[in-house]
Amino acid sequence: MENTIKVERAILNLTQDELAKKIGVSRQTINSIEANRYVPSTVLALKLSQLFNKPVNDFFKLTIDDA
Amino acid sequence: MNTEKIINCERKRFQKFIKFRLPHRFMAVGLTIVVLAILGMLVHAFALEGDMDWLKQLLKKILLVGMLIMSLSKDKVEDEMTISLRAQSYAIAFVVGVVYALVMPYVEYGVSNLVHSGGEAFKDLGDFQVLLFMLMIQLMFYHNLKRYR
Repeated sequence: MENTIKVERAILNLTQDELAKKIGVSRQTINSIEANRYVPSTVLALKLSQLFNKPVNDFFKLTIDDA
Repeated sequence: MNTEKIINCERKRFQKFIKFRLPHRFMAVGLTIVVLAILGMLVHAFALEGDMDWLKQLLKKILLVGMLIMSLSKDKVEDEMTISLRAQSYAIAFVVGVVYALVMPYVEYGVSNLVHSGGEAFKDLGDFQVLLFMLMIQLMFYHNLKRYR
Protein backbone atom coordinates (compact mmCIF):
# COMPACT_ATOMS: atom_id res chain seq x y z
CA MET A 1 0.00 0.00 0.00
CA GLU A 2 1.23 3.48 -0.83
CA ASN A 3 -0.16 6.84 0.11
CA THR A 4 0.00 10.56 -0.63
CA ILE A 5 -0.53 11.79 2.91
CA LYS A 6 2.57 13.95 2.69
CA VAL A 7 1.03 15.79 -0.28
CA GLU A 8 -2.36 16.13 1.42
CA ARG A 9 -0.65 17.41 4.53
CA ALA A 10 1.28 19.97 2.47
CA ILE A 11 -1.97 21.15 0.84
CA LEU A 12 -3.42 21.85 4.29
CA ASN A 13 -0.07 23.35 5.35
CA LEU A 14 0.21 21.05 8.36
CA THR A 15 3.33 19.68 10.00
CA GLN A 16 3.51 15.99 10.97
CA ASP A 17 3.10 17.01 14.59
CA GLU A 18 0.01 19.13 13.89
CA LEU A 19 -1.60 16.37 11.83
CA ALA A 20 -0.77 13.83 14.55
CA LYS A 21 -2.47 15.98 17.20
CA LYS A 22 -5.54 16.49 15.04
CA ILE A 23 -6.17 12.76 14.65
CA GLY A 24 -4.87 11.73 18.10
CA VAL A 25 -1.71 9.78 17.28
CA SER A 26 2.01 10.36 17.77
CA ARG A 27 4.21 12.22 15.25
CA GLN A 28 6.22 9.02 14.74
CA THR A 29 3.06 7.19 13.65
CA ILE A 30 2.40 9.82 10.96
CA ASN A 31 6.04 9.54 9.88
CA SER A 32 5.75 5.73 9.63
CA ILE A 33 2.51 5.95 7.64
CA GLU A 34 4.01 8.48 5.21
CA ALA A 35 7.07 6.25 4.75
CA ASN A 36 4.75 3.24 4.06
CA ARG A 37 6.17 1.39 7.05
CA TYR A 38 2.82 1.21 8.81
CA VAL A 39 -0.66 0.60 7.41
CA PRO A 40 -3.20 2.46 9.58
CA SER A 41 -6.49 1.02 10.79
CA THR A 42 -9.78 1.82 9.05
CA VAL A 43 -10.66 4.21 11.89
CA LEU A 44 -7.45 6.19 11.40
CA ALA A 45 -7.86 6.17 7.61
CA LEU A 46 -11.41 7.54 8.00
CA LYS A 47 -10.18 10.23 10.40
CA LEU A 48 -7.66 11.28 7.75
CA SER A 49 -10.38 11.18 5.11
CA GLN A 50 -12.55 13.46 7.24
CA LEU A 51 -9.69 15.88 7.80
CA PHE A 52 -8.59 15.99 4.15
CA ASN A 53 -12.24 16.06 3.04
CA LYS A 54 -11.53 13.35 0.44
CA PRO A 55 -12.40 9.67 0.08
CA VAL A 56 -9.82 7.24 1.50
CA ASN A 57 -9.13 5.87 -2.00
CA ASP A 58 -7.81 9.26 -3.07
CA PHE A 59 -4.77 9.09 -0.81
CA PHE A 60 -4.36 5.34 -0.14
CA LYS A 61 -3.60 3.11 -3.13
CA LEU A 62 -3.04 -0.63 -3.37
CA THR A 63 0.27 -1.70 -4.93
CA ILE A 64 1.33 -4.89 -6.75
CA ASP A 65 2.69 -6.24 -3.42
CA ASP A 66 -0.86 -6.24 -1.99
CA ALA A 67 -2.21 -8.52 -4.73
CA MET B 1 -30.93 -11.90 30.40
CA ASN B 2 -30.74 -13.86 27.14
CA THR B 3 -27.71 -15.75 25.84
CA GLU B 4 -26.67 -13.02 23.39
CA LYS B 5 -26.63 -10.39 26.13
CA ILE B 6 -24.52 -12.66 28.34
CA ILE B 7 -22.04 -13.26 25.49
CA ASN B 8 -21.83 -9.52 24.77
CA CYS B 9 -21.28 -8.77 28.43
CA GLU B 10 -18.50 -11.37 28.65
CA ARG B 11 -16.94 -10.08 25.42
CA LYS B 12 -16.88 -6.50 26.78
CA ARG B 13 -15.33 -7.67 30.04
CA PHE B 14 -12.73 -9.68 28.14
CA GLN B 15 -11.88 -6.71 25.89
CA LYS B 16 -11.52 -4.48 28.96
CA PHE B 17 -9.15 -7.04 30.51
CA ILE B 18 -7.07 -7.29 27.32
CA LYS B 19 -6.81 -3.51 26.97
CA PHE B 20 -5.75 -2.98 30.58
CA ARG B 21 -2.70 -0.71 30.87
CA LEU B 22 -1.27 1.34 33.71
CA PRO B 23 -0.93 5.13 33.29
CA HIS B 24 2.38 6.46 31.91
CA ARG B 25 3.62 7.64 35.34
CA PHE B 26 3.89 3.98 36.39
CA MET B 27 6.87 3.60 34.04
CA ALA B 28 8.93 5.72 36.47
CA VAL B 29 7.48 3.80 39.43
CA GLY B 30 8.45 0.47 37.82
CA LEU B 31 11.93 1.73 36.93
CA THR B 32 12.48 2.92 40.51
CA ILE B 33 11.42 -0.48 41.88
CA VAL B 34 13.78 -2.25 39.45
CA VAL B 35 16.74 0.00 40.37
CA LEU B 36 16.05 -0.42 44.11
CA ALA B 37 15.75 -4.21 43.74
CA ILE B 38 19.06 -4.39 41.83
CA LEU B 39 20.76 -2.18 44.44
CA GLY B 40 19.31 -4.43 47.15
CA MET B 41 20.70 -7.48 45.35
CA LEU B 42 24.15 -5.90 45.16
CA VAL B 43 24.06 -5.03 48.88
CA HIS B 44 22.88 -8.56 49.64
CA ALA B 45 25.69 -10.08 47.56
CA PHE B 46 28.60 -7.93 48.74
CA ALA B 47 27.75 -6.28 52.05
CA LEU B 48 25.46 -8.61 54.01
CA GLU B 49 26.63 -11.74 55.76
CA GLY B 50 24.75 -14.75 57.09
CA ASP B 51 21.86 -16.79 55.77
CA MET B 52 19.62 -14.24 54.05
CA ASP B 53 18.01 -16.43 51.42
CA TRP B 54 14.57 -14.98 52.16
CA LEU B 55 15.86 -11.50 51.24
CA LYS B 56 17.29 -12.80 47.96
CA GLN B 57 13.97 -14.42 47.07
CA LEU B 58 12.05 -11.28 48.05
CA LEU B 59 14.31 -9.03 45.95
CA LYS B 60 13.88 -11.35 42.95
CA LYS B 61 10.09 -11.07 43.26
CA ILE B 62 10.32 -7.26 43.66
CA LEU B 63 12.49 -7.05 40.53
CA LEU B 64 9.92 -9.03 38.51
CA VAL B 65 7.05 -6.88 39.82
CA GLY B 66 8.97 -3.71 38.86
CA MET B 67 9.60 -5.01 35.34
CA LEU B 68 5.96 -6.08 35.00
CA ILE B 69 4.82 -2.58 35.98
CA MET B 70 7.18 -1.11 33.35
CA SER B 71 5.86 -3.57 30.78
CA LEU B 72 2.22 -2.67 31.53
CA SER B 73 2.72 1.12 31.55
CA LYS B 74 1.29 3.19 28.74
CA ASP B 75 3.43 5.43 26.54
CA LYS B 76 3.23 9.21 26.71
CA VAL B 77 1.25 9.12 23.46
CA GLU B 78 -0.53 5.81 23.21
CA ASP B 79 -1.96 5.11 19.76
CA GLU B 80 -2.80 2.13 17.55
CA MET B 81 0.80 1.80 16.35
CA THR B 82 2.27 1.56 19.86
CA ILE B 83 -0.44 -1.00 20.74
CA SER B 84 0.53 -3.04 17.65
CA LEU B 85 4.27 -2.76 18.46
CA ARG B 86 3.62 -3.83 22.06
CA ALA B 87 1.67 -6.86 20.85
CA GLN B 88 4.57 -7.76 18.54
CA SER B 89 7.06 -7.42 21.40
CA TYR B 90 4.97 -9.75 23.63
CA ALA B 91 4.76 -12.32 20.82
CA ILE B 92 8.53 -12.20 20.26
CA ALA B 93 9.22 -12.39 24.02
CA PHE B 94 6.96 -15.44 24.33
CA VAL B 95 8.62 -17.34 21.46
CA VAL B 96 12.18 -16.40 22.47
CA GLY B 97 11.36 -17.22 26.11
CA VAL B 98 10.14 -20.72 25.24
CA VAL B 99 13.23 -21.38 23.07
CA TYR B 100 15.46 -20.04 25.87
CA ALA B 101 13.80 -22.28 28.47
CA LEU B 102 14.25 -25.31 26.20
CA VAL B 103 17.81 -24.68 25.02
CA MET B 104 19.54 -22.88 27.89
CA PRO B 105 19.69 -25.85 30.35
CA TYR B 106 21.63 -27.86 27.72
CA VAL B 107 23.95 -24.90 27.03
CA GLU B 108 24.64 -24.45 30.77
CA TYR B 109 25.21 -28.19 31.19
CA GLY B 110 27.45 -28.39 28.12
CA VAL B 111 29.55 -25.35 29.02
CA SER B 112 29.87 -26.44 32.65
CA ASN B 113 31.13 -29.90 31.64
CA LEU B 114 33.37 -28.52 28.92
CA VAL B 115 35.14 -26.07 31.24
CA HIS B 116 35.81 -28.61 33.98
CA SER B 117 35.15 -32.31 33.68
CA GLY B 118 32.38 -33.55 35.95
CA GLY B 119 30.77 -30.11 36.12
CA GLU B 120 27.24 -29.26 37.16
CA ALA B 121 24.46 -31.83 36.91
CA PHE B 122 21.73 -31.18 34.34
CA LYS B 123 18.97 -28.97 35.75
CA ASP B 124 16.06 -27.00 34.33
CA LEU B 125 15.89 -23.21 34.54
CA GLY B 126 14.09 -21.65 37.46
CA ASP B 127 10.93 -19.59 37.02
CA PHE B 128 12.79 -16.39 37.97
CA GLN B 129 15.37 -16.84 35.20
CA VAL B 130 12.73 -17.51 32.52
CA LEU B 131 10.40 -14.69 33.61
CA LEU B 132 13.26 -12.20 33.92
CA PHE B 133 14.50 -13.14 30.45
CA MET B 134 11.01 -12.83 28.90
CA LEU B 135 10.36 -9.44 30.52
CA MET B 136 13.79 -8.20 29.45
CA ILE B 137 13.22 -9.34 25.86
CA GLN B 138 9.75 -7.73 25.80
CA LEU B 139 10.98 -4.37 27.10
CA MET B 140 14.05 -4.42 24.85
CA PHE B 141 12.13 -5.37 21.69
CA TYR B 142 9.37 -2.86 22.39
CA HIS B 143 11.94 -0.10 22.85
CA ASN B 144 13.75 -1.12 19.65
CA LEU B 145 10.57 -1.49 17.60
CA LYS B 146 9.54 2.01 18.67
CA ARG B 147 12.98 3.35 17.82
CA TYR B 148 12.96 1.92 14.31
CA ARG B 149 9.30 2.56 13.50
